[in-house]
Amino acid sequence: MAWMRRTWTPAAADEWTKEDWYTIVISPLAYILLMVGVALSLLLLPAGFAILGLGVLATLLMHWIIDPKLKVISSEYEKKQREYLEQLERAARWKEIGSG
Amino acid sequence: MVTFGFLDWLWIILYLLIMVGAGVLFYRLGRRSESDFFLAGRGLPWWLPAASVYATHTATDTPMWVSGVIYRHGLAGLWYSFFAGWCAISAFVSTRIFRRSLAYTQAEWNTVRFSGLGAELLRGWMSGWQVFMSMFILGWVGIAMGKVCQYVFGWPTWIGLVVFSSVCAVYVMAAGYWGVIMADFLQGVVAFAVILIVSIWGVVAAGGPSAIVSRLEAMGEGWRLNPLAFSGWFTGDFPIAWFLTMLFIALLGGFGMGTSIDWYVEAQRIQSARTVRDASYSIWWGTALVLMRNSLWAVAILGFYVLYPRIPDTADYEMAWFRIGFEFLPAGMLGFFFAGIIAIHISTISAILNLGAMYFTRDLYLHYWKQTASERELVWVGRITTLVLLLGSFFYGLIMEEITSWLIFALWIMAAGVWLPNILQVVWWRFNAWGYLSSWIANLGLSWLVVWVLPSFGLLPELPDYQQFWVLMVLGAAIYLPITFLTKPDDMDHLVRYYVMSRPIGWWGPVRREAERRGLLVRPEAA
Repeated sequence: MAWMRRTWTPAAADEWTKEDWYTIVISPLAYILLMVGVALSLLLLPAGFAILGLGVLATLLMHWIIDPKLKVISSEYEKKQREYLEQLERAARWKEIGSG
Repeated sequence: MVTFGFLDWLWIILYLLIMVGAGVLFYRLGRRSESDFFLAGRGLPWWLPAASVYATHTATDTPMWVSGVIYRHGLAGLWYSFFAGWCAISAFVSTRIFRRSLAYTQAEWNTVRFSGLGAELLRGWMSGWQVFMSMFILGWVGIAMGKVCQYVFGWPTWIGLVVFSSVCAVYVMAAGYWGVIMADFLQGVVAFAVILIVSIWGVVAAGGPSAIVSRLEAMGEGWRLNPLAFSGWFTGDFPIAWFLTMLFIALLGGFGMGTSIDWYVEAQRIQSARTVRDASYSIWWGTALVLMRNSLWAVAILGFYVLYPRIPDTADYEMAWFRIGFEFLPAGMLGFFFAGIIAIHISTISAILNLGAMYFTRDLYLHYWKQTASERELVWVGRITTLVLLLGSFFYGLIMEEITSWLIFALWIMAAGVWLPNILQVVWWRFNAWGYLSSWIANLGLSWLVVWVLPSFGLLPELPDYQQFWVLMVLGAAIYLPITFLTKPDDMDHLVRYYVMSRPIGWWGPVRREAERRGLLVRPEAA
């Protein structure tokens, strides 16, 4: 198995996989690095530029990992959305919905 | 008081005209349907709701709050604003799940996720609570604008409260969420430009970045430049235990829905995005911008500290960023600065007005009162509710000073005892409506006991807020977990329908297997 999957089938993209978990770890790190990096860079501290650079790299890496998967999830889900919306509207108006 | 010239008033009048113009321009779009009035037809590219996330979370009281924590704690104060970090995980977990549910509101999601009487009770409670909270937040943010106007013009506080919220209500009533989102984009750009210009001006006034660093060190306060200047494990102003608790609450909260009070506003932006991917990026980038903006503010406030060190009165130093703008900007730019303050103010007011109206219209009026209402009728109910919320906010705003402690309590009980249930409802199939409902009720009583009653009788020491969080979490679990196990799981048909539609993360094994047995899902390797 490849360490990082870049091509997805709709069924595989709907599962929670290691690519999601990589994103879940990298995303908060990116926030922390960007927030601290911007503050220290504005004070012209060398460490600030290094931290900000790491934050930008973490953000790019996160998008590189998750974007192909999100694209497939989105395109597949939009095909079913109309039917789901009709179900939601019937439920909001207390109309019977079929099971399962 | 500040004196405005002709150019300053021109900036302000032009800005207000553009805002009201947005309502007229998007009036036709807003009136088409309930979906348009509250979700802009669910068709927005990610950068529009992202701008709205940023603009909405830049309220009039935000620079006061950020100024306060940075002035007091130095760059370590940035962590007080890192509660917004819940979006780091939420953007790729709960945002994805909520977007797929298609629920207009968190209250509606309750009936998509849970079933039966418990779910309906939850929906009614949640929507009523959100209508009330919307009015409360509008009053709270509105009176902050009243105070700014009092500082700038010497007006009584009610004028600033009433005038700018009313202008905002014009375009919200006319164009609904279309007006909110388009105005938010413009307001986001204006607000960011103003924050950038004023903050850089403040840094320059303090002698520039290098001078701020060297002067802080000369004052023996170089620790203010260290974002990790802890005061000990459990002691002092900034203990490591507080920091770890904050990271725990903020980051893991992203697995749940409602773990932050901001979730309810973001949920509307999530559903207005045109795809799941757009929803994820709107939340992630909107919040990234919020966090980086706080850093910009922080540096300007350090500059202010160098200029005016050791101000003892909190109310004085909380005005630091406003003072930078009004004391250092040249004539002609003051109006631009004030237009930016108006942008910051009404982007929040417009979002909350439309949000509160959506909860009333969708969850109370349509679901419980008149199920046969037409789209046109629902749009009009939305408009009338917007007006009622506006009037209610004036009332709350004017009595707000007496009830500030109640507000902090209301926000606190939102976060503490229901934090874990807000996650469990997303990640655990067996957690049912009765468990979730009981966690809310238990939290109301327990938070009174832990925060006020037991300490006043000497039965419990007065704990710091981060320790109260852990106590409330454990005590609450001792009530809602037994109730969950003593009551039946949700109806399996309902759970399977929700699972197939939303594909939640976590412990959903029995539901997943049932969905596969019914042929509604196939394993990816078999696909």
